[in-house]
Amino acid sequence: MTTTNPTTSETVTARAAARFISDYACRLLECGATCVRIEKNVNRIARTWHLTAAMTITPAHISLTVSDTGGSDTFTLITAVSHTSVSYDMNTSLSRLSWHIADNATDPARATAMLHEITNRPRPDKWKTLPLVALANASFCRLFGGDATAMATVFAATTAGYALKLILSEAGMDLRPTLILCAFVSSVLGATDGLFSLGSTPDIAIATSILYLVPGIPFLNGFSDMIAGHYTCSFSRLAGAAILTCCLSAGLCGGMLLMGAGMF
Amino acid sequence: MITEFLQDALFAAIAAIGFAAISDPPRKAYLYCATIAAAGHSVRFLLMHADTAGMHIVTASALAALITGTMAVLLSTRAGMPAETFLFPALLPMIPGIYAYKTFGGLILCLMHADESSFPHYFYLFAHNGMTCLFILLGMTVGATVPIFLLKRISFRATRDAAHHE
Repeated sequence: MTTTNPTTSETVTARAAARFISDYACRLLECGATCVRIEKNVNRIARTWHLTAAMTITPAHISLTVSDTGGSDTFTLITAVSHTSVSYDMNTSLSRLSWHIADNATDPARATAMLHEITNRPRPDKWKTLPLVALANASFCRLFGGDATAMATVFAATTAGYALKLILSEAGMDLRPTLILCAFVSSVLGATDGLFSLGSTPDIAIATSILYLVPGIPFLNGFSDMIAGHYTCSFSRLAGAAILTCCLSAGLCGGMLLMGAGMF
Repeated sequence: MITEFLQDALFAAIAAIGFAAISDPPRKAYLYCATIAAAGHSVRFLLMHADTAGMHIVTASALAALITGTMAVLLSTRAGMPAETFLFPALLPMIPGIYAYKTFGGLILCLMHADESSFPHYFYLFAHNGMTCLFILLGMTVGATVPIFLLKRISFRATRDAAHHE
């Protein structure tokens, strides 16, 4: 069964729409969008093509059913989600694409080309973010009351830890042992403040040296999905974030044990 | 206190910019991110300060996140981006990271000190830090997302081409 779009006279099949929408929804989930935003954008696209879309969103797969308004023809697709890093730039571009489709009645073929154009854009070099991340964590140290010496120690600890994270990520290592190692390295360097009796706030230096590893965005996305009623995705995201926090705690504990520093 | 307030705003802005960079935001988002992070974190500083409201960190974080979320939604149309693009990175300086890892640290110490005299102390540390972390995150997320749902007409239309805005 095909649906004619009255503005363009082009035929939009449920199969073609489903293939595009599932690809689109997966890319949106991969770049860190909340479930409510994915739903809104997908429903907007489906309405444009006079179709209805129903989704089940889980972190590993998106199960999508597209049907025409009469319900006489349905097409179901289950698509695997890859694990990539958060990109709000892609999130913004994909949201704009949904409005472009709605306002211009873009057909699935053209929409797919535009989607690939967005997803094939090269990602910025992560190494360029290294000084910004180190500066951010040093600022974090200041927010917790650290002095200039503690800030400098945290800057150095974060530079080393984040550089190691980038190297291990590029080498394809799983994120969990990566966080353990990076937290260990950062906490050992963060503890040098106390080891050499530098400054007046060595405890703040070690406490804040690993904060750049805390998975803040997954926690926020998880609770946001919970508020919107997407409990499966919410609990999955929160469980993933809790496991990552456990890993960095393990690395921190290891570093503190080695340096003879206490957590409490 | 004014100096502390301004310092808090400045360092929160720097922290938000740095952590936002990890999430690959559009270039324009950095300015909005820094602005609302500075506003939100400094409001939380004022609310928690003993000389002003002296609020608990959970309540102060929720109210600060509400202000941050409202600013983000109102700015999202001007920015042409979803509010979360600069809202979530702006909330990162308020994420209770220390409470989070102290929760797991307390859990590990519970296992290492199983005797009856010291176990309750470490269990208290685990529970106190865990509950504080959980409720700060919940309060922040509720505070930040309430404006998104209340101002639906703005928040889910921000990326629409300006020519089609009603």
